[in-house]
Amino acid sequence: MPLAYSLPTDLSPATVVNASSLLRIVALALISGAAIASRLFAVINFESVIHEFDPWFNYRATRVLASEGFYEFWNWFDPTAWYPLGRVVGGTIYPGLMATSGVIYSILHGLNLPVDIRNICVMLAPGFSALTAWSTYMFTKEMKDESAGLLAAAFIGIVPGYISRSVAGSYDNEAIAIFLLMFTFFLWIKALKTGSAFFGTLAALFYFYMVAAWGGYAFITNMIPLHAFTLILMGRFSSRLYVAYSSWYAIGTLASMQVPFVGFQPVRTSEHMAALGVFGLLQIIAFAELVRAHVSSKQFQRLLYASVIGMGILGGLAIVGLTYKGWIAPWTGRFYSLWDTGYAKKYIPIIASVSEHQPTAWPSFFMDLQLLIFVFPAGVILCFRELRDEHVFVIIYAVVASYFAGVMVRLMLTLTPCVCVCAAVAFSSVLDTYINPVEPDAVEEEAETAGDGAVSASSTAVSTSSGSATKKGKKAAPAAQPGPLGGLVSTVSAVVSTKKGEKSRGIFGGDTRLAVLLNALGMLLFFVLHCTYVTSSAYSSPSVVLASTNPDGSQHIIDDFREAYYWLRQNTPETAVVMSWWDYGYQIAGMADRPTLVDNNTWNNTHIATVGKAMSSSEEVAYPILRKHDVDYVLVIFGGLLGYSGDDINKFLWMVRIAQGVWPDEIQEPNYFTAKGEYKVDDGASNTMKNSLMYKMSYYRFAELFGGNQAVDRVRGQQMPKIGPTLDYLDEAFTSENWIVRIYQVKKEDPLGRDLRTANAFEQGKRRKRSKPVARRRAIV
Amino acid sequence: MSTWSVARWLQLIQHWQLRKRCLHSSAMVSPWRFLSFLGFAAAALAKSSTGNSVLVVLDPGSSRDNFSRFFDGLEARGYELTFRTPKDAHPAVIEHDHPEYSHVILFAPESKTYSSDITPQSLVTLLSKNTNLLIAVSPKATPLTSLAAEFSLILPPPGTPLVSHFPERDTPATVIPVDVSPSNPVLSGSLPPVWFSGVPFAFNSNPHIVPILNAPPQSFAADSDADSGADAVVEAADKGGEGLWAGSSLGLVAGFQTLGGGRATWVGGVDLFSDEYAQKPTLDGNKPGNEQFAADVAAWTFQETGVLRVDGSTHHHVNETTPRDRYTINDRVTYTLRVSKYNPTSAEWEPYSGIDGMQLEFTMLDPHIRTALQPTPGVPGEYSLTFRVPDRHGVFKFNVDYKRKGWSYLQSTTVVPVVPPRHDEYPRFLSPAWPYYAGAISTSAAFLAFCALWLAGDSAEPKKSKSTKSD
Repeated sequence: MPLAYSLPTDLSPATVVNASSLLRIVALALISGAAIASRLFAVINFESVIHEFDPWFNYRATRVLASEGFYEFWNWFDPTAWYPLGRVVGGTIYPGLMATSGVIYSILHGLNLPVDIRNICVMLAPGFSALTAWSTYMFTKEMKDESAGLLAAAFIGIVPGYISRSVAGSYDNEAIAIFLLMFTFFLWIKALKTGSAFFGTLAALFYFYMVAAWGGYAFITNMIPLHAFTLILMGRFSSRLYVAYSSWYAIGTLASMQVPFVGFQPVRTSEHMAALGVFGLLQIIAFAELVRAHVSSKQFQRLLYASVIGMGILGGLAIVGLTYKGWIAPWTGRFYSLWDTGYAKKYIPIIASVSEHQPTAWPSFFMDLQLLIFVFPAGVILCFRELRDEHVFVIIYAVVASYFAGVMVRLMLTLTPCVCVCAAVAFSSVLDTYINPVEPDAVEEEAETAGDGAVSASSTAVSTSSGSATKKGKKAAPAAQPGPLGGLVSTVSAVVSTKKGEKSRGIFGGDTRLAVLLNALGMLLFFVLHCTYVTSSAYSSPSVVLASTNPDGSQHIIDDFREAYYWLRQNTPETAVVMSWWDYGYQIAGMADRPTLVDNNTWNNTHIATVGKAMSSSEEVAYPILRKHDVDYVLVIFGGLLGYSGDDINKFLWMVRIAQGVWPDEIQEPNYFTAKGEYKVDDGASNTMKNSLMYKMSYYRFAELFGGNQAVDRVRGQQMPKIGPTLDYLDEAFTSENWIVRIYQVKKEDPLGRDLRTANAFEQGKRRKRSKPVARRRAIV
Repeated sequence: MSTWSVARWLQLIQHWQLRKRCLHSSAMVSPWRFLSFLGFAAAALAKSSTGNSVLVVLDPGSSRDNFSRFFDGLEARGYELTFRTPKDAHPAVIEHDHPEYSHVILFAPESKTYSSDITPQSLVTLLSKNTNLLIAVSPKATPLTSLAAEFSLILPPPGTPLVSHFPERDTPATVIPVDVSPSNPVLSGSLPPVWFSGVPFAFNSNPHIVPILNAPPQSFAADSDADSGADAVVEAADKGGEGLWAGSSLGLVAGFQTLGGGRATWVGGVDLFSDEYAQKPTLDGNKPGNEQFAADVAAWTFQETGVLRVDGSTHHHVNETTPRDRYTINDRVTYTLRVSKYNPTSAEWEPYSGIDGMQLEFTMLDPHIRTALQPTPGVPGEYSLTFRVPDRHGVFKFNVDYKRKGWSYLQSTTVVPVVPPRHDEYPRFLSPAWPYYAGAISTSAAFLAFCALWLAGDSAEPKKSKSTKSD
């Protein structure tokens, strides 16, 4: 048996096993370290600060949990959110994230390590990314072997698609949810493989954790039934499937109903019906199998099959009927928008207005996954080669997640683990093939003796250390000479499809090996470089603090948001209600600690539309709305001076659309465009646009800043009129350094009962028109 | 909550300053005059609820003596009067954004120019800082005429005084006896007719106006009391009477209660306050009501009469006494409001239970509950109500908003969140859920029974159970 290069032969099997497991542990530790370290760009470049929008609420909730205990958190009614409706926080959140941080916090404090809760929140996502790497390793190990597992762990550790949601400070549900997702899937595969109720129950427990942590748990709720259903269709029903699924579904569903936000949804909404249906189907099939085992008559079996199918149809009809009756809630709008990408834009502008709900652009696949996206199909095809039950799972996962990732940007996150797993399978197959020292004999071997573990046996974890082998490989590696023939055959057949009887093909020369291996390693290297670059430049910005570069190359920090929020905190009474567009609700609540009208928990469309109406109406119309809601301050984001494109004028059309959805008679989108249909803010802007509160607040005194020169809005690139808008019902209270945040105070009613426009005109010394007494009688005609 | 408490603090501080000032002045008094002073001091204590310093701005043409009865009456009631002409720069009404006087009387209807501290804008500022104004206008166009428009008063064109040819009398047509409405909240009881000469004004619809004296029905504003040359009348007559300042809906004296609590009174003619009119017998030969009328108007304007305030409000669960910081839906809650009325004779705030028709609103965006807030029997000045909190969580407000003409406004807002029940406040067992309890219990029992039977019963085939185990 020829070898491409020699292997040490004097190693005992135990040494090989120990060394390889030590190396695996070291590799996993290094991968964890890399995963954590690459997420720290945000902390190093900026500071240990909570990022973006939603994390601010999670952080605030965690502080409540840490300071007041779990039961107070559970019953927390937040009177400052959605003023004056308030928010029942305990019943409207997924508490898993906060509970996790709370547990870590109390453990650390129990150990007399007084770590600030903020630092726990900031570092939670990097910490869990290490766990994600581990669980991906476990999952991939079930698919192929340890070497593929290590590759998958390394991929998921640094892939930008996952880093985008888990950098330090990005304290969001996804931070722990991806770990739970992968671990639940791993446990499900394990339960399915072993048919063990124990692993099924573990899967259910982690499913419960997932339900408590992220709304995306519906993905698991539908993936596992889909997998089970596919297996049934493929004729792979087994008692292992029955045990695994039944234990997962029964315990998992009961457990998930303990989360207040989920409540009775698992039995009442369409999203969960698939799981229930498959559960029922499994019972019917299991019963049928049981009866078939006891009954011999063929006709009886036929009858039985008919009745089984009939029961299945009846069950399906029952679900449809219950949906029509209203017992089962139909699909929600968010779900419809997954199938019909234009749905949200038509019916639910609030969903469509969120940037992460937009369809994914092609470049972002490359940006987030780089070479993995190209290797991904190869991995899926390799899964087809073996097609064990778990491979079916990965294939389904790949298909479903690819579709969803194409529909919504944010669902790229669920695709990423699957891509990492498939790419790792493909990559490790390539490495296995080309590192395997066994060269094929010139003579055709016909022995197909090796068992099922052939691929893993032959390939071994050579990629991690030369000659060291994994669990199964321990037999093969030291005894390489006698001939792992089956391994050879299957390895070769994995790369080049051989036909028996032809002249055998294989890899013979060291140069061929080197060419391919160097190429592969180069790709991996560039992948690492790409990940580092994307992470540091694109995904590590807290968006609360902005950075720009000075002419000399040094970093310039733009800290307008925090400046403005702290101004609110220091200069306004604690009960002062702040109105802003909903994007900034969580930040105001978290940083300024002031009541807000609407926030990122967009549960009440009407309330958001009210704010949209106030923003898009004229002052006279908006003022009663502001007074009714006790608004003291109005906050707008304006990027025109700095060129910050995510400002409120750019979001303004969504406010108009959302308001139009509720008040179609008062707010009409076309009125905000020019006659030619352009969205303009300069002289040519429509009158409705110019009179809208948002326009006035954004450009109030903007022209003065240019000292008589032409004022230019740098975001829209339009020249502003010399005479800016005037405000009668609001007073400018605060404008941040770079004008990004502008805060206006709502004036109190005039003490003389005039409308404020008149009062203002009087204050400025304008003469009012003389009036005459109102005629009380009409002249008789 | 904060609204009333701030107001109350201000009042307390004011009170305290007042006391200090009184102590100070009485300390300066030598002992032998002390007793005689005491009687005076009781009267000299501020009659007004907001202070007793008054700035009087008089036309250079008129002197204090023309209004001696009115001014002496004020001084006798304890006001400290300071006189100046419109063009004097000192004493200023407002310095460093701080009003220097508690009340300002502008008896300069003829002046066209004022020193820089008196402008229409500064007068409104004064009013919003709780300084009360008593303003007289005349048929002449002055800066004050344009100010009147801000108070929703529509003055006729310049030079058109009120004219009435009825009842027949020997005075000029512009000097008119006006009957006083007996039911006006500002005035004390029924008064004899008062003499008036000056301009009327029409009212725009403004709820803050308190009409005190209305024009007689037969009167109208005209630029001439002769039949010819009255252009305004002729012009209006061409239009079928439209735009004519005529009839009893015109006001001659009108009060204005601002939202902030300040009061302003507009008088169509300054002569109403003069000694001459106060002594001029009415048509039936009696003494006219001018003197009393002027005193009443001044008392109302300077916040002596018709002054109410909210002393405080509390709320508590019906079985408790201290306020909670939140209530649960469907709780029974008691709301209590304490109201005082200013008593000018004793210069004290006294609990006042005489308010009828005050309403309490429990509001979240819209009032969920609106009901009468009745005086508590036996406790003076207290109004309370017990009601059930609506079955709706949110941030609610206890809202009392009592606005009546002639009275100062009562406003009180207390914010309180209403929350859903805690997780342990729901009923533990529900009777409709018995089928489910029964299901759970029977399944558990059946499982136990099955286990017992399985373990105990099947000893006949030990081999088989072994083999299944090894599988």
